[in-house]
Amino acid sequence: MQAIFAEALTKHFTDEIRAVDGIDLAIDEGTIFGFLGANGSGKTTTVRMLTTLLRPTSGRAEVLGLDVMRSPGQVRRRIGVALQEVGLDDIQTGRELLLLQSRLYSVPAGDLTSRVEHLLEVVDLADAADRRVKTYSGGMKRRLDLAAALVHRPKIVFLDEPTTGLDPISRDAIWRYVGELNKSEGVTFFLTTQYLEEADRLADDVAIMDAGKIVSQGTPAELKASIATDVVTLRIEGGDDELQRALTAARRMEGIEEARIIDDAVIVYVRDGSAAIGKLVLLLDEESLRAREVTLKQPTLDDVFLQKTGHHLDADGAVARTEPSAPSGTKRRGG
Amino acid sequence: MLVMRDTWYLMIRALRESVRQPALEIGNVFIPMFFFAVTVGAIGNVAGKAFGVTNYTAFQLPVAVLQAVAGASGTAGLATVGDIERGYFDKLMLTPAPRISLVLGRLAADGVRVMALTILIVVVGMLFGSGMKTGPLGVVVLVAMGGIFGLAYSGLGMALALKTGSAQAAQLGFLIFFPLVFLSPAFAPKEVFSPWLEFLATINPVTYIVQGMRDLVLSGWDVNSLAAAFGAIAGLGLFTMTLVLLALRGRTS
Repeated sequence: MQAIFAEALTKHFTDEIRAVDGIDLAIDEGTIFGFLGANGSGKTTTVRMLTTLLRPTSGRAEVLGLDVMRSPGQVRRRIGVALQEVGLDDIQTGRELLLLQSRLYSVPAGDLTSRVEHLLEVVDLADAADRRVKTYSGGMKRRLDLAAALVHRPKIVFLDEPTTGLDPISRDAIWRYVGELNKSEGVTFFLTTQYLEEADRLADDVAIMDAGKIVSQGTPAELKASIATDVVTLRIEGGDDELQRALTAARRMEGIEEARIIDDAVIVYVRDGSAAIGKLVLLLDEESLRAREVTLKQPTLDDVFLQKTGHHLDADGAVARTEPSAPSGTKRRGG
Repeated sequence: MLVMRDTWYLMIRALRESVRQPALEIGNVFIPMFFFAVTVGAIGNVAGKAFGVTNYTAFQLPVAVLQAVAGASGTAGLATVGDIERGYFDKLMLTPAPRISLVLGRLAADGVRVMALTILIVVVGMLFGSGMKTGPLGVVVLVAMGGIFGLAYSGLGMALALKTGSAQAAQLGFLIFFPLVFLSPAFAPKEVFSPWLEFLATINPVTYIVQGMRDLVLSGWDVNSLAAAFGAIAGLGLFTMTLVLLALRGRTS
């Protein structure tokens, strides 16, 4: 059975604001699905529709075969959700919050205490269980929020940007819990993220969302392979003029797929990167330009994101606009 | 059954908040007590001559209960705004708990707060000679009436909180309450009102609640008076709960 299915799922807040614009999803049980996109791309709105918090404008969605609009109560019994904004009650202690959550999910009384104790151990909060939540750090709150999403042993867990703003240690801890739960209990995860590394490391399948639409979908390896090029990064001595001239020079080279300026570098997508490096340096030399750094790498999800959306994803989820690319076979969305 | 169970769990959670933040309850205790003492002190000595009320302490006791309701009525709405702002309301909305329980839990907690305050007001009133014509059972009925009215009236602040997510809007119930009290026979019998005020008092549901409570304290058992009081509370509750349900539905659209 498919864990999550959506067909032409749409949410328009007004005629102008089309947060989610007719997306299709088919996610298998037991997989980790990475939903990648910048801030405002429609990821959270999609999660809110799939978790019954928001009624779709049109289209349909099913979770474990249950229609989210017709059977919202049954859907809620089967899913766990940790939203982007950590939803906790500061006045309660961690243990009280998990006990209340368990009772609302009808966890059997005999199982209640042991389940809560187990989860507190799993998320490494046993020592802080009797402290009020307002004394917790950001990382502790995230872990408690995750535990709260798991009290009833859900078959599907939605995590909306679970590691945003966390330090690397807390982030790694969340990744570890997700991986372990997926492997040991077969829990399906629907993970929205703006961290490409997170999607690359955890997800079996990835969808890239941009301006309310899914622009690409597949395994991380498939998406990277879809670019079918190497990535050469040229850092040039000088200022913006030199950077622009280097871009123009690079675009003259034969066999180039695409070239663009991102931040302070010229990024060149080319089929045979190792052969192209020498030619690129010669072209720069002809223009009296000097490269202070030339690197060659296999494409990453960042490169895929750039190709599919036309913009680069910052660490904080914002988009960085880039120079127009060279004419090539790859279609790009504007802005 | 599930509604009752989850309402109970969420009411306990809301009351725990009050216990852990006692400073927030100081105003709810102080304001009705202060107005009770000041009004009785200022008007008590002339009430007999002015409008034939010999035991003005007993006459004012229900008004203090209503002021307790007014003070507590913003709590559920304000606390819900806090839950919405922290994202905890969404967390609760994601549980299988019936959504009506999410609001009833907080409203019931307001009702319990009003009941506790009513007991305190009755004890203070009795110490100052209000008496209780209907005896201990009358106290029970008075406390229950205060609690149910508190629950029903808090629905207004709750509906505004759910609709707007604004703390200011959630407290509007407190502001609306004062005209309702002053347009009722709270401070003097209706018989001494000018005709226009008497008309407004007649169509004001708070009039019947004040009168029902007052009869318990001053006159004795009066089935018609009690029925009118509980009827007014039920009507008000129906109105506020309709607003709450509409606002709750609006949060998912």
